[in-house]
Amino acid sequence: MIVTKDLVKKYGNFTAVDRVNLNIPAGEIYGFLGPNGAGKTSTIMMLLGIIPPTSGEIKLFDEVYTPSRLDLRKRIGVVPEKHPVGMWPWMTAFEYLKFFADIFSLKKPDDRIMALLAQVKLDDVAHKRISEFSRGMLQKLSIVRALLHDPDILFLDEPISGLDPIGIKQVRDLIIAENREGRTIFISSHLLSEMEKICHRVAIIFNGKLLAEDKMDALLLKLSKDREIHIDLEEIPDALVGDIKSLDFVLDVNKSKNRLVVKVPKEGDYRKAISEFLIKRNLIPLQLKEKSISLEDAFVTITQENVEMLAGVGGNK
Amino acid sequence: MNYRINATRAIAKRKIFETLISPGFYIAISIGLFLGYFLINGFVSSIDSSGLNYSLNSVYELIARFLSGTFGETFVVKLFSEGPFLFALYVSFIPFLFYLAISSVFKFGFEKKVGAIELIAYGPADGTAYVLASFVKDFFFTVIYLLILLVFFFVSALINNLVLGPMFFYSLLLIIFLSIAFFAYGIIASILTDNAASGIALFLGIALFFIIVKMGSFAIVSGYVVSLSNVFAWIVKWFSPLFYWSLGLSAIGYGNVGLYLISMLLNILLTVALLIISHFVLKVRGVRV
Repeated sequence: MIVTKDLVKKYGNFTAVDRVNLNIPAGEIYGFLGPNGAGKTSTIMMLLGIIPPTSGEIKLFDEVYTPSRLDLRKRIGVVPEKHPVGMWPWMTAFEYLKFFADIFSLKKPDDRIMALLAQVKLDDVAHKRISEFSRGMLQKLSIVRALLHDPDILFLDEPISGLDPIGIKQVRDLIIAENREGRTIFISSHLLSEMEKICHRVAIIFNGKLLAEDKMDALLLKLSKDREIHIDLEEIPDALVGDIKSLDFVLDVNKSKNRLVVKVPKEGDYRKAISEFLIKRNLIPLQLKEKSISLEDAFVTITQENVEMLAGVGGNK
Repeated sequence: MNYRINATRAIAKRKIFETLISPGFYIAISIGLFLGYFLINGFVSSIDSSGLNYSLNSVYELIARFLSGTFGETFVVKLFSEGPFLFALYVSFIPFLFYLAISSVFKFGFEKKVGAIELIAYGPADGTAYVLASFVKDFFFTVIYLLILLVFFFVSALINNLVLGPMFFYSLLLIIFLSIAFFAYGIIASILTDNAASGIALFLGIALFFIIVKMGSFAIVSGYVVSLSNVFAWIVKWFSPLFYWSLGLSAIGYGNVGLYLISMLLNILLTVALLIISHFVLKVRGVRV
């Protein structure tokens, strides 16, 4: 659905995006991550046709995409990070959406506008001026605008930043619901815990280069050095730490109050073996859970490695 | 192409409505009509038994002296040969022309800065659709305002027992084509600059430059001041809407309908060329700050 081949964007001598190759199949929720200045916005702007690439190719819906392909843009919905609130202060939410419906040549859009506003609980303020809307309301209005023309791909740039917990849940549910209807969703966000909850696949961009791209589980597994198994027991005998350490697959054991933290290799599932080991000693685990690396940890690991690598290159010079 | 046309229509519709609810629009119209009324009234009070006598009205005397000094006596005689309406038409129209052009340049700079044009361009629209919509809006209001002036001056003529001469009607058409070329220069100024203030400054600079060159050429013809090189003025005039407008005025004087039509056609060609250049500049510069 979205394919880029050796996508490059240069601003003078500075390379903002360096040979980025993406391949996003239809129906996926795709997370695009990167620290500030990594090349995220430039990549998105090229995908949206707002800025032309310096070199490389973009394909949308199996067709070569250039900024002049307005027919392909019609199949895209975009929620930008900031909504230009000061622009049309005299417009109500309904008039604002009707204006965009007009640009998209939608016939009789009134019912659809009201249905979408109801979906994000904005139907009761449909005829209120948008200049009176809060940040959260504007964000929801922006999502409604992006969905108005029933796009095949939805681009979301920081869709939940600035929202309260209820707003975050509403938007998250909406994203998941839209994806279930078959829409491909491309999200760029700093809120990695949220991305972890909803994305099927993620890519990490740093210094203009794509460092990693995979399915969420596979990426986390790839980036984790080892795994931790957390075991809660009513009481921990003194000899237990040493006994568990003697197991051949155990890398390390730490004890804190009634919890044992057992480090094991990232490949394989050792929960059954540890349970059996404890039961043989008449110790019943109150809780046994595996804690794998979070997306946030993975993101920090991979970007930090590259910062160190770049510093090393600089140092060698 | 259909997508761009549809987007232009939708954006122009919004811009027209936005202008109609803007106080500046009514202020510009009021200033124009007030100036028109003031000039007609002054003209009527400057008529005595021997005809037009500028010395009867101090303001008219000042205007006549200024115009004679700048453009020559013949110009002034021609200007008032059919009464006050030709002069009043231009004086009433100029504030509105600058209001429309400057507000469009300002809007472009502001909407670009806040990301509104980018927001529009996420859909089946682009910067070209936006500037075309702005152009369509300006053209629409130019025609509307000229119709208002026509009615206003027609009623004034009836009240004061005067007539609107043929020069007035020919000039009405010339003004439309003069305006569209100025609007196109406004678009160029907007897209070449990064913010509203520098856009307005560039547009005013361009307008002033053409006015100075035009006045310079009048001065050269009159033999008073030769401040501009003839070659330079000759090159610049082909880019100046004022040159084609004055060509049209001369054609009316000669009774040459062909030249009159050509003068308007040349202003259309200049406008189209400027819009095409704008399209390509926008393609390179984009709509993002």
